[in-house]
Amino acid sequence: MIEFYDVSKSYPNGTAALHGITATIPKGEFAFVVGPSGAGKSTLVRLVYRETLPTSGYVFVNGVNVSKLRPAAVPYLRRNIGVVFQDFKLLPRKTAYENVAFAMRVVGASPKEIARRVPATLELVGLVDKGEAYPAELSGGEQQRAALARAIVNHPLVLLADEPTGNLDPATSWEIVQLLLEINRRGTTVLMATHAKAIVDAARRRVITLDHGRLVRDRQRGDYSQ
Amino acid sequence: MGVRMILGEALVSVRRNALMSLASTTTVAVSLFILAVFLLAAVNVDHMVKTIEGELEVRLYLSAGLDEAALEDLRALVEALEGVTEVIYVSKEEALATLRQQLGPRADLLEGIDEMNPLRDSFRVFTQGPAWIEHVAAAAAGLGGVEDVGYQRELIQRLLPLTSAIHFGGLVLVGLMVIATLFVISNTVRLTILARSEEISIMKLVGATDWFIRWPLLLEGMLLGLLGAAIAAIGAWQAYAWAVNGVYRAVSFIPVVPVLPLAWRLGLLLCGLGAVIGGLGSVLSLRRFLRT
Repeated sequence: MIEFYDVSKSYPNGTAALHGITATIPKGEFAFVVGPSGAGKSTLVRLVYRETLPTSGYVFVNGVNVSKLRPAAVPYLRRNIGVVFQDFKLLPRKTAYENVAFAMRVVGASPKEIARRVPATLELVGLVDKGEAYPAELSGGEQQRAALARAIVNHPLVLLADEPTGNLDPATSWEIVQLLLEINRRGTTVLMATHAKAIVDAARRRVITLDHGRLVRDRQRGDYSQ
Repeated sequence: MGVRMILGEALVSVRRNALMSLASTTTVAVSLFILAVFLLAAVNVDHMVKTIEGELEVRLYLSAGLDEAALEDLRALVEALEGVTEVIYVSKEEALATLRQQLGPRADLLEGIDEMNPLRDSFRVFTQGPAWIEHVAAAAAGLGGVEDVGYQRELIQRLLPLTSAIHFGGLVLVGLMVIATLFVISNTVRLTILARSEEISIMKLVGATDWFIRWPLLLEGMLLGLLGAAIAAIGAWQAYAWAVNGVYRAVSFIPVVPVLPLAWRLGLLLCGLGAVIGGLGSVLSLRRFLRT
């Protein structure tokens, strides 16, 4: 589902973020990307939804070469990819319900579809009672649930999570990861960048370790540092 | 993506960003109002100059005793001169009547003058513009039957450079004002879009196409521009009507352009300008957020 072929990325100021990364994440897999700050985890995630382009090498998503995509085709790539962030990125002046519905309206879903799928998705993430609340009225965990609902409401093939638990306490973090695992069980490929050791160790999933932009370890059912 | 949905998005976003929308509409209204004042002033100065220019004429004083046929021949010759637009015959009796009228209560000075009218028959010759007057006067002086040529030589020599300076200065000033207004409005629209950068980045994240993002903001920009322009147009209209009224009352000899249809034309111009700049400002400000 996600393929990296000899991907390198250096930024215009000369700092190199990634060196010759080659990895394949098959359909339906759940993979962690771990490593210290500055290891290149976020850059790797950004390459998948084409927020940045690789300096060399290729990134494929669902068989499409993302690095060669015309700019006009990028929105359609992103409709197959859900993304959640450490800072949630919810629209402050829209309610949780509206934030989720917004993602559907953007892709041109009918009002009927929206009215059917938004409540169902809110229920899946456990936010069914908080639909009318604005982000400021929600806890961090609830905000991340809303963001997660927005990310999956269009049934993406891939869900990317860039430090999704970075702003959350351990118990809430674990709940969010449980949700990610549940979404994965329903068939979505999940790639999660994190440095939360406890979560990675407990989840027993594939772990891709980056250090200074190089892939230093790739283990099935791994833990953070074996 | 239907038209209704785009319109809806634009309206909702105007409402939700009420304060920002109010601020930008006010800015647009004020800058367009100032532009309108400049335009109205320029149009009136131009009108005034044209009126003065139109009143300039060459007077051809004719020899006494020309018969009907000679008069018609001469008129044809004068009309054929380059730059001449109109020739009016004024008999010495008419000239005397005019003089009497001009003297008004002191017309008694002309008592008993009728039998020995000292004035001469003449042609009033109008030209395409003040630049032609000297040329026409020189050419007419050589014609048989023309005894004397009169025109306001000094006035014309002073007026000519002045009117062209006013024309040129007015054009430059209005041009500068238009540029300044464009700048202010597009900058205002840019700010409203910058205030929405977060929303735009999230739209892009969830897979909105560039045009899905652009349409509502384009419409919003046009709406703001149009609204501001409408306010400016109404304000300018009222202010101009008031000013024209005041001028009529105080100094009625100054020629002013009537309020209608000038106000209509100005309003249409402002609304068009506001909508176009508002929309264009939106689209251009969006470029930094959109790839294409």
